[in-house]
Amino acid sequence: MRRARALVAGLCTLAALASLAAAGCGRQGPAQDAEEPLTVSAAASLAEAFGRYGEGVEGGRPRYSFAGSDELAAQIRQGARPDVYAAANTKLPEALHREGLVERPVTFTTNALVLAVPADSAIDALSDLERPGADLVVGSPSVPVGSYTREVLWRLGPQRAELILAGVRSREPDVKGVVAKLVAGAADAGFVYRSDVVAAGGRLRALALPGRLRPQAAYAAAVVRGGERHALARRFVGGLRSGRGARILRAAGFGPPPR
Amino acid sequence: MGARDPLSEEEGAALELGAELRLGAFDLEIELAVPAGCCLALAGPSGAGKSTVLRVVAGLLRPDRGNVRCGEATWLDTEAGIDLPPELRRCGYVFQDYALFPHLRAWQNVAYGPRREVRGRAERRRRAEALLERFGVAHLADAYPRTLSGGERQRVALARALAPRPRALLLDEPLAALDSRTRAAATRELASVLREAEVPTLLVTHDFAEAATLGDTVAVMAEGKLVQRGRAADLAARPVSAFVADLTGAVVLSGVARPGAEGLTLVDLDGGGAIASVDHATGPVTVSVFPWEIALEPPGGSGSARNRLAVEVASVTELGSRVRVGLEGPQPLAAEVTAASARALGLAPGRTVVATWKAAATRLTSS
Amino acid sequence: MSAVRPFRAIVTVALAFALCFLTLPVVAIFAGTPPGELVASLGDPAALDALSLSLQATLAALAVIVVVGAPAAYALATRSFRGRSAVITLVELPLVLPPAVAGIALLAALGPQGLLGGWLEDAGVRLVFETAGVIVALVFVAAPFFISQAQAAFSAVDRTWLDASRTLGATEARTFLSVMVPSALPGLLSGLALAWGRALGEFGATLIFAGSLSGVTQTAPLAIYELFATDLNAALALSAVLVAISAALLLSVKLVGGRVAPGLLAR
Repeated sequence: MRRARALVAGLCTLAALASLAAAGCGRQGPAQDAEEPLTVSAAASLAEAFGRYGEGVEGGRPRYSFAGSDELAAQIRQGARPDVYAAANTKLPEALHREGLVERPVTFTTNALVLAVPADSAIDALSDLERPGADLVVGSPSVPVGSYTREVLWRLGPQRAELILAGVRSREPDVKGVVAKLVAGAADAGFVYRSDVVAAGGRLRALALPGRLRPQAAYAAAVVRGGERHALARRFVGGLRSGRGARILRAAGFGPPPR
Repeated sequence: MGARDPLSEEEGAALELGAELRLGAFDLEIELAVPAGCCLALAGPSGAGKSTVLRVVAGLLRPDRGNVRCGEATWLDTEAGIDLPPELRRCGYVFQDYALFPHLRAWQNVAYGPRREVRGRAERRRRAEALLERFGVAHLADAYPRTLSGGERQRVALARALAPRPRALLLDEPLAALDSRTRAAATRELASVLREAEVPTLLVTHDFAEAATLGDTVAVMAEGKLVQRGRAADLAARPVSAFVADLTGAVVLSGVARPGAEGLTLVDLDGGGAIASVDHATGPVTVSVFPWEIALEPPGGSGSARNRLAVEVASVTELGSRVRVGLEGPQPLAAEVTAASARALGLAPGRTVVATWKAAATRLTSS
Repeated sequence: MSAVRPFRAIVTVALAFALCFLTLPVVAIFAGTPPGELVASLGDPAALDALSLSLQATLAALAVIVVVGAPAAYALATRSFRGRSAVITLVELPLVLPPAVAGIALLAALGPQGLLGGWLEDAGVRLVFETAGVIVALVFVAAPFFISQAQAAFSAVDRTWLDASRTLGATEARTFLSVMVPSALPGLLSGLALAWGRALGEFGATLIFAGSLSGVTQTAPLAIYELFATDLNAALALSAVLVAISAALLLSVKLVGGRVAPGLLAR
């Protein structure tokens, strides 16, 4: 008797769990494998813009993984298979393309490297960083924002570059780390993208760098090979260059793709 | 033991204590004094507050109100705001389970107290070994406590307590953790240690026989209060209450007293039978008799003893050369006889005998 | 009998599964690359800097944790006061904080704009971007491991040993050092090992609070994260060294814990 009752209780529990699971799956969207949302690995600087872009793409809001472009590339080399890879440079997607891991990359936007300071900072120009005392935060050399930063500084000449680099107090694994240190008031200045200053909503001020210093920060995205939803992924990448995608990127502080 | 009269505590008492303290079920309220070189044994059932008294003296527990004086020094005076910490009182404390430091060897345990006074490890070890030698355990100097037997631990604990030359000695059930075989020898040894001790000693035990053997005076404690205090023999002979009589090991019977012939008091026992006593009392009383005052005779015999009760043997327990006989009568009682007479009587459970004792050995307390 | 056997099988399978799952990733660190290459990758000065910084910072953090944590644990174990259990819960809170939250919390408390930021600046103390900040982050995340273990170890010590020590003329301080600490040593050591392990692996709080700069604030886990993007072999090599150190730590504590206090066993 008791055994029978336990059996019934067990079956009921199983049924409840099964229906919960079914309901959970159903909420994600139409119950078809092909319509499952895309998985997108994207540079940390794209977080806000891609978040908005994702609201209206085919297949529902993608599952995003935002991190340093270099970390994401390393994950793909280690066997991770997102549907789309979007980097803050063209170098990393091209390298993955040469290795046969992704399809031909599409350069879809540009960004400007700026010197960001807290809104109330007294720092007004790059030359202010050459005096000792200013705490500078940069991206680590392997992440695009870090390599752009080095490019800019070396164009100033080795002497000035050394002076500025002496003030570097931290090399963050991605650009959001730099932004966070500035927003928290831990650092006095940092090299980030214009879009990051826009995203920080008034708490940071961008000091534009002179035109001759400005590096070409072009963003490229590519469809990762080995995924099952290539068509959907290609439409995601294609939509970034024009129309709604382009408008969202422009509003977030990104520039038009180079011609 | 000490040269002084142990009962003349008024003058020159080395250790004086008065304390009031709220405990769980009752209030501790106690006053006592112990002369130098004398041992006061605190006897009573467990939970009576005996150990609490020791903790108050040692400074491990602060009473709500009270004072402790040792010789010229005031250790505690709650009204004057004096409360010396335990390390400045320097009591030699032997704990119930000895509380030897498990991470130290026997000699290191003994050397722990006088570490300040004695310079150099070699000298400390020499002194510790000399003390261990006095207790016959010098060969165990390098042993850890967990490898020692109960008796060995007790000796190390005593040596450790005496090592810093304490101003008072506090012993909490020093023999309770020992098995019955080692206890007899340990009791003799402890008695000799106490004879040599020049400081006041407070000893706590639940065993009246132990208190009688080791204490110059015995104080009986119940529920936080001193019930009776005196020489052990006096307590046994004239217990102020059935509680004390019971603790001292007497047989306790209940009945109703009325005046009888020849100036004797007759007591009609509850459950039947009557006995006589030289004590005077009327109404409900408690009767106490010591088992060794009770003799056993075959049925039908006639002895000189005034009190005679027909009883049945319930149990026979050998205690060395003596035999304790449990008896079923109107009320249960017990007798202690020699092994020889037990054999002569052929005592065995179920056998009917007559228990007899003198009216002079029958003590009455009104209940 | 027949009801017992399937359960035994389940238990065995579960153990085997747990063992595989927990050891396979660690084995993979060593399996991926030949040992010679692992050693060669360690030649990278940044990796060596990170390792030596990790050792120095964790040892400094442990020193702080022991000096402050042991007496604090003693107080929690021996004193009874109002709100004691609330205090214990608060002390243990960092155990369950995500490291990133710990980092942000430290920044909000001790950063230049934090609650005590101005006060620290007046005192001339800089933590953010400094090795001192790494140590602060490590202490914050690792101290609760030691304190809760130490408190349990102190609570388990027989109070009559402490009483005995006091009556033998020892002050409370000497009693703490000569009786309490030796008696609780196995528990203290295992707490120390747990804290050290946690400190060696610290990543998020350090990155957020102290930043990441080779030789100053970049500890081994931060270096591993950076190397992962550029030089997987170097990242594996550094990981292998961390695994070796942590395993040695765990092992030595298990051995030492049994030997250090022979009188304490089987009591």
